[in-house]
Amino acid sequence: MYIIERITNKKHPVIIEPVANEDYKKITKKKYFFNWKTEKKYDVYKLRRDDNDIILGLISVTNEKKEKRIEIKLLSVSIENRGKNKQYERITGTLIGYVCREALKHYGIDGCVSLVPKTKLKKHYINRYGMMDAGKQIFLTGLSLLKIVNNYYDENN
Amino acid sequence: MKTTKLLKKYAPKELAESFVFRTKLTAKEKKESDITLNELRKRVQEQTTSKQKLLSHLLQLKYQIEDYSKNATYDTNRSFGYFLREYLKPLNKKNKEFASDIDIDETELSQILNQHRKPADKFIIRLEIHSNKTIPAITWFRLLEKEKEHEILTDYAMRRNESRHVKNRLQLSI
Repeated sequence: MYIIERITNKKHPVIIEPVANEDYKKITKKKYFFNWKTEKKYDVYKLRRDDNDIILGLISVTNEKKEKRIEIKLLSVSIENRGKNKQYERITGTLIGYVCREALKHYGIDGCVSLVPKTKLKKHYINRYGMMDAGKQIFLTGLSLLKIVNNYYDENN
Repeated sequence: MKTTKLLKKYAPKELAESFVFRTKLTAKEKKESDITLNELRKRVQEQTTSKQKLLSHLLQLKYQIEDYSKNATYDTNRSFGYFLREYLKPLNKKNKEFASDIDIDETELSQILNQHRKPADKFIIRLEIHSNKTIPAITWFRLLEKEKEHEILTDYAMRRNESRHVKNRLQLSI
């Protein structure tokens, strides 16, 4: 897994791991937009470069085992990685790719990753990540899930 | 900054590349939405090709080996032989056919599957080639390494046996 530094175009290997309790002290609303403490009831993961501890992105998910589906509840990149002047490319895709990897690991071809998008953003998730439209929810399964894993998780893994 | 301000500051495309927001559905909306989602998932599954199914199976296996190899816990049931059987499952081949595919003796394959023999390096390299690099040799190697680590940690009989060959032991204590 890697992200790309926008200015230099340099690839940086990254690590995705569960958020530890002590991490919440530095996960502020100012930097990561949401109150992430409320996500403790879900599985929360952080993405960082493999050579430092700075959290570049966060994702919370819930594993709906009976449905063989993982639902993305919340995701945010750090403030420096929003918009045109972002520091790194691929943070969000890599976080989604990691969740798809987990779905594939648990459920194989039946695995699914879904989220409930804001109406305004739905078409952009569909275009950017190949998600499929199920009305109020969008999702990845089958070939679309394999593609995301290949593009964001497995390539140069 | 509130979500509305964020929506004004950044273009929707930029927001989709930076966030997934909390979006609540009513119970009715959720129920209806789940029905739609399940129907569409079923349709996608029906269109899945046998090649995609095989690739999914191999990736699933690879990720399970990766995570097990990293995990500190050792599980006797998750041996090299167990994962190799999982590899063979979707191929629907007899041991003799698969042994021929990777040019090894059928007996050797059987011994590896039944944990009576450790696979040689060439065996895991051939597995990598056979899987079209979907499961790299290094993934199989890390699994073997974990088994070796467990053996070294727990082989008390060997310690007793080897003890007879060691003289002038250092007498160290704190």
